[in-house]
Order: sequence, then structure tokens, then C-alpha cells
Amino acid sequence: MIPTEWLFGLAGGLMIGLAASLYLLVNGRIMGASGILGGLVDGTGRGTTAERVAFLAGCLIVPALIAWAIGGARTNITGNFAVIMAAGLLVGIGTRLANGCTSGHGVCGISRLSPRGIIATVCYLLAGGIVMATARHLWGLI
Amino acid sequence: MRALFAALSGGIFGAGLLLSGMTDTTKVQGWLDVFGNWDPTLAFVLGGAIVPMAITWRLAARRQTSWLGTPLPAQPNPKLDRSLIAGSVLFGAGWALAGLCPGPAIASLSFGGWGGVVFLLAMLAGMLVAPALRRPLDRPARAGAKMDIRAITPTYAVSPQIALEDLPAIKAAGYTTLINNRPDGEIPPHLHHAQMQAAAQALGLIYVQNPVIGGAMTDANIAAQGAAIAASTGPVFAYCASGNRSSVVWALSNAGKMPTDDLIGLPARFGYQLEGLRGQIDAMVKS
Repeated sequence: MIPTEWLFGLAGGLMIGLAASLYLLVNGRIMGASGILGGLVDGTGRGTTAERVAFLAGCLIVPALIAWAIGGARTNITGNFAVIMAAGLLVGIGTRLANGCTSGHGVCGISRLSPRGIIATVCYLLAGGIVMATARHLWGLI
Repeated sequence: MRALFAALSGGIFGAGLLLSGMTDTTKVQGWLDVFGNWDPTLAFVLGGAIVPMAITWRLAARRQTSWLGTPLPAQPNPKLDRSLIAGSVLFGAGWALAGLCPGPAIASLSFGGWGGVVFLLAMLAGMLVAPALRRPLDRPARAGAKMDIRAITPTYAVSPQIALEDLPAIKAAGYTTLINNRPDGEIPPHLHHAQMQAAAQALGLIYVQNPVIGGAMTDANIAAQGAAIAASTGPVFAYCASGNRSSVVWALSNAGKMPTDDLIGLPARFGYQLEGLRGQIDAMVKS
């Protein structure tokens, strides 16, 4: 019997793939969360502001409505704000240096067999695994 | 219309992130915790997303533009630079520490409490400082190497002033045309047009002299650059003092042939700020 969590994962994954497909075929853009947001932050996205804001608004509001409808959702994020701040900085810097994150490199890059997307995904998975092993099992930090 | 579909796509993306468990940091951390109580859910999420997207790329390959008329994104330059590797490593570290990546950080903002808000603010701060960190990373990897090939596209690279000794490496990197965008008056004599031309032609490179005066680029400059690029049988290598003029003249000669965002955004990856040209490019597209 397959755990229901895996089925939810698969169903949610299919929706992510559908969203990325829509963004590519209709809007002609690669659906990368860090790129869409980052372009607004550092000004490289001027001229496509409306499209970016609309995407982010949908991405924020729809889960908010679903979470409200099902009586709440949880991120279970750590209460250690120093760790949260360090993590946020690393994610912000890292995704902009690498020009992509899980959605851009992981979903859109791998599905296209892009060497950059594949290498980026291997790098962040390896780094994530090593940091997890170190921070959780050696240091007991998270 | 664009915004409507963007919002629809964003909404489906956000819902998918929530449904799949990507907004639950324990699931993400469980996936990365290979040495602990490993949770394979994320493999189903990634697999579920990649399969339909792979089909979509096949469909997209048959088209020139999207349904709303935007040129479809070209396959990026496969060059693996240090920014890509270093950035991905940093991102992976942060992803593991908090269990959030950019998409889920936005999708979970409404229910993620202060932790989610602080994460998003820190991430925005990181995105703001990232461009300043990119420049030192993009300097040439080999110590002592002076030449710096900045491939704006797979077929067009720019560079600061090169030396005659750099030409074999440029040739070896596959470039077939060399464009010199500097007037002789600003270069030391041993790197003048005639010297560069002789050395380039000795190696079988096509050499084009198109001197651009800083701040006084002419229509003839733009036309000459475009003609040299169009005539080249292979990738083109252009240089000036910093690579800025070679980027600007490229962007203007491609007005209307590529999305304006790319003409500005691709050079921006190497620190060339062309945003001020947006009006001029758009005017050239319309005329």
C-alpha cells in the first residue's frame, strides 16, 4: 500500500508541472519562483512587473484560501530565528547566483535535459543533504 | 491577459506546493535527511512535476512563440560557471536549514507565522545583495589568466581588452569572428587595429574593426556589428575596454530580433547595465 503522502506528493507535483507548462506555453516564460521574485527585487524584471506580480499573487492567495477552507495548514518551521534568517539569506543569495531554484532548475531545467539545470539540482541536493546531516546529526541544530 | 494567465499559473503552482507537502518544512527536511528518517515524498513531487513538463518542452520545441506571442526561451548557454555551482550549494544549505525554498516560502506566507515572514524578508535581502557577489565569482577561474570570455549568448561573447596572446584561446573556444570595438586612440600601440588584425588573420579568424566611441555610438556602428554577426559562420567574440560597448552595440543591433528583456537581462548577468537603453530599443522595435 502506497502511503497517501506519496500520492499527495505526486498529485501536487503534477499540478506544479501543469502550472509550469501553462506559464511556458501561454506566457512564454520559464516558471522559476526565485527568478520571478528576484527580478522584482533587483530591478532586472522591469517591463514584466505585472506578469510577475500576478504570478506571485496567485501563488500566495490560492494556498491561503485552500488553507482557510481546510481549517489551516502548517509549515512546522523551526522557532530558531537565527537559523531562519541565515537560511533565508542563503536561499536568496544562492538562487540568484545560480539563476534558479527548485522550480526553475529542478522542474523546468531537468525536464528539458538542460545541463545547467541538472548540475544545479545535483549541487543543491548534495549540499542540502550534507548540511542536513551536519546540522541535525552532528550539531543538533535543526 | 498575460497577467491573468500568470495569476492562474501561480495559483495552480501554489496549490500544488501546498498539496504536495512542499510547504511543510518537516517533509522537505525529511527528504534531505538521508542519514536519518528519510522521507521520499519529494521524489514523487519532483517526478510528478517533471513528467508533464518534459511533454510540454516537446510541444514547445515545435513552436517559435507562446500562445500570447512571446518568443519561447532559448536553451541557455550550457556553460557551467562558478556562480551556478556556488549559488546552488548556498541555496541547498539554506534549503536544508529552514526547509523552505522560494516557491513554498511565498505559498505558505499566509499560514507560516512569523517564521515564514522572517524567512521571506531574509531571502529578499539575499536577493538584493546577490548581484554584488556575482562579479568576483565571474572573474576567470585560472589564476593569472587575464582573458575573460563573457558569453552573452552561445554565439556572441564580449570581453575587456584582449592581448595578442589570447587569440589562440579564443580560436580554441570555437569563435570564428573577432570584432574590435575600440578606436586605436585609446589603446597602447602594440594592440592597435593593424597588429590585432594581422595576429587574428594569421590564426584564420575573421577580423572586423568597428570602433565605437564611448557615449557616441552611431547607427553605422550598430549596422556594422549586426552585419559582422550575421556574416559570421560561427560564434562571434567582440571586445572593447570593459565589454560594455560590445554589449550595447550587440543589444541595439538585435532590437526586435530578441525580446528586449533578454537584450538587457543577458548582459546584466556580467554586470553590464543596459536598462537605460530600454526606451531606445523599444523605439527601434516599433520603427
